[in-house]
Amino acid sequence: MHAISKIIAAHADRKSVEVGEIVNVAPDFVMLNDRGAARAADLFRLMGGDRVFAPSQIVVVFDHHYPPIRQQDSVSQKKTREWIKEQGITKFHAGEGIGHVIFPEKGYAFPGALIFGTDSHTVTNSALGCVATGMGHSDVASYLALGYNWLRVPEVIRFDLYGEFRAGVYAKDIALRIAQLYGEDAAPYLGVEFAGPLVSKMEMSERLVLCNMVIDFGAKTGYIQPDEITARFVSEHAPSRAWTPYATDSDSDYSRIVDLDVSQIEPLVAVPHDLSNVRGASELSDVRIDEAVFGTCTGGRIEDFRVAAAIMQGRKLAPHTRMMVNPGSRQVYLQAMREGLIEVMMQAGAQVGVTGCGPCSGCHQGMLAPAENSITNASRNFRGRFGSPEANIYVASSATVAASAIAGRIVSPADFVMH
Amino acid sequence: MHIKGPAWTFGRNVNTDLIYPKMWFRPTYAPGEMASHLMVGIDEEFPNKVKRGDVIVSGQNFGCGSSREEAAAAMKEAGIGAVIAPSFGRLFTRNCINVGLPVVVSPAIDEQVNQGDEIEIDLAQGFIRNLRSGYEARLPPMAPESLRLIQDGGIANYTRRVLEERRKAAADGGIKPE
Repeated sequence: MHAISKIIAAHADRKSVEVGEIVNVAPDFVMLNDRGAARAADLFRLMGGDRVFAPSQIVVVFDHHYPPIRQQDSVSQKKTREWIKEQGITKFHAGEGIGHVIFPEKGYAFPGALIFGTDSHTVTNSALGCVATGMGHSDVASYLALGYNWLRVPEVIRFDLYGEFRAGVYAKDIALRIAQLYGEDAAPYLGVEFAGPLVSKMEMSERLVLCNMVIDFGAKTGYIQPDEITARFVSEHAPSRAWTPYATDSDSDYSRIVDLDVSQIEPLVAVPHDLSNVRGASELSDVRIDEAVFGTCTGGRIEDFRVAAAIMQGRKLAPHTRMMVNPGSRQVYLQAMREGLIEVMMQAGAQVGVTGCGPCSGCHQGMLAPAENSITNASRNFRGRFGSPEANIYVASSATVAASAIAGRIVSPADFVMH
Repeated sequence: MHIKGPAWTFGRNVNTDLIYPKMWFRPTYAPGEMASHLMVGIDEEFPNKVKRGDVIVSGQNFGCGSSREEAAAAMKEAGIGAVIAPSFGRLFTRNCINVGLPVVVSPAIDEQVNQGDEIEIDLAQGFIRNLRSGYEARLPPMAPESLRLIQDGGIANYTRRVLEERRKAAADGGIKPE
């Protein structure tokens, strides 16, 4: 069995499960974001729910529309605050950051765990060697009532990453390369494991980026076998957490194993309006950038701020370019202030906003006008994602976004002197 | 389960941002509200054109992207009989099953159907037919658990039933209520 199957079996109270089988599982934690909590609570009542099955396993995070700019969101958040109080749900985080950034930070994600969330990027957590996947609102409402959900045991595809990063290349570029080579449905309904000598050297922040992006290849969950880097991360963020390591039995537990030589990868950009529409950053120098969008569950961690500040130090944004920055969490924001990174970005001319999803999926400020071009370290270049459907969104690494914001057009960060 | 209706066709990698744009998100919905915004990211007139019993046929990876359940729920509310594609986004598939909307995988179906073609599907017998062209294909078997959820009208009905069983068992002194 693959470790993913073993984790599912353990949460289904079974010794083993077969790939393709549908089983009922009880997750360790279920994340409800602001919208998810409002919808799920509503559907839970419609399903005849009265008391939530396991309030201690529910984590409510306000990240998409917090602080609210529309009255409908204020009203719905007020209702959610009342609802969680009435249900005895105490794990509540408003304004502390994006669910997928704070889950690993606060120790809700740990090796061997099963995590559900009302958001497709819940898969991010799987970098810690757990199974983490998005659920619909009705799914979560049913979980609230019954304490379990149905789950199909997925086939698993493994990407073995080897070679060395070229200058200016990051985990994000690997994810874009996979989208380019194998498409946006590279892994439909599958588990996606990252392994190989390069992954074993990767810090958790880079692993989180890889696993964050698996949903954008169609995957159910990511997976990285827990190792010393994982253990260190968990001991720092959840020192009291007991966890069970699971290991995959053999290579026959994979539906496919793909070798990827990272040395061949240059800084990449997904161009409008599909993630698989990928070009080299250096080929796109004629694309003028009106707005850089920096942050989100893909690119809002402290390491992203360090990379960006190293590029932006002592420089100014191009006169025609604006930059929206939303730290992924309060912890990231505070650390970036302590290290002087926020100051560097503001001195360069960036607007630094609240923690949360930022302009991605139209949550916070920074909407695009028709025909404007944006470059972002978020994960999706879908039409209309940051405002006008007539705008163009380019997806790249944090380094490429910072460098392009300074240049005012798309450039490769490899051409930039880092401070 | 037997479905018959004219097809609306869409392309590949149609994401849920297009099927149900975020600007129409609400904390709660009045009856018919979600259906009135179905597919407006692609065609603003679609909610006025689509009729109950119509089917949607699309290219690969239909419903990819964001988890928004409204994409599936709006189709169910509009009375879409089935949604058919060579492959689907995982969350969209799940949401269709949970709202009781037949989500039908059929390889290369997008190459076999033109807009307006009359499509017939039988989930129990496992076939799809294009009644205009005569094209016919077997459907890959659907997991019995998923088929049952769709036939039951979705996860809400299932949950309601299990809750009632639990409450009855608790009232009979079988198990303690949670």
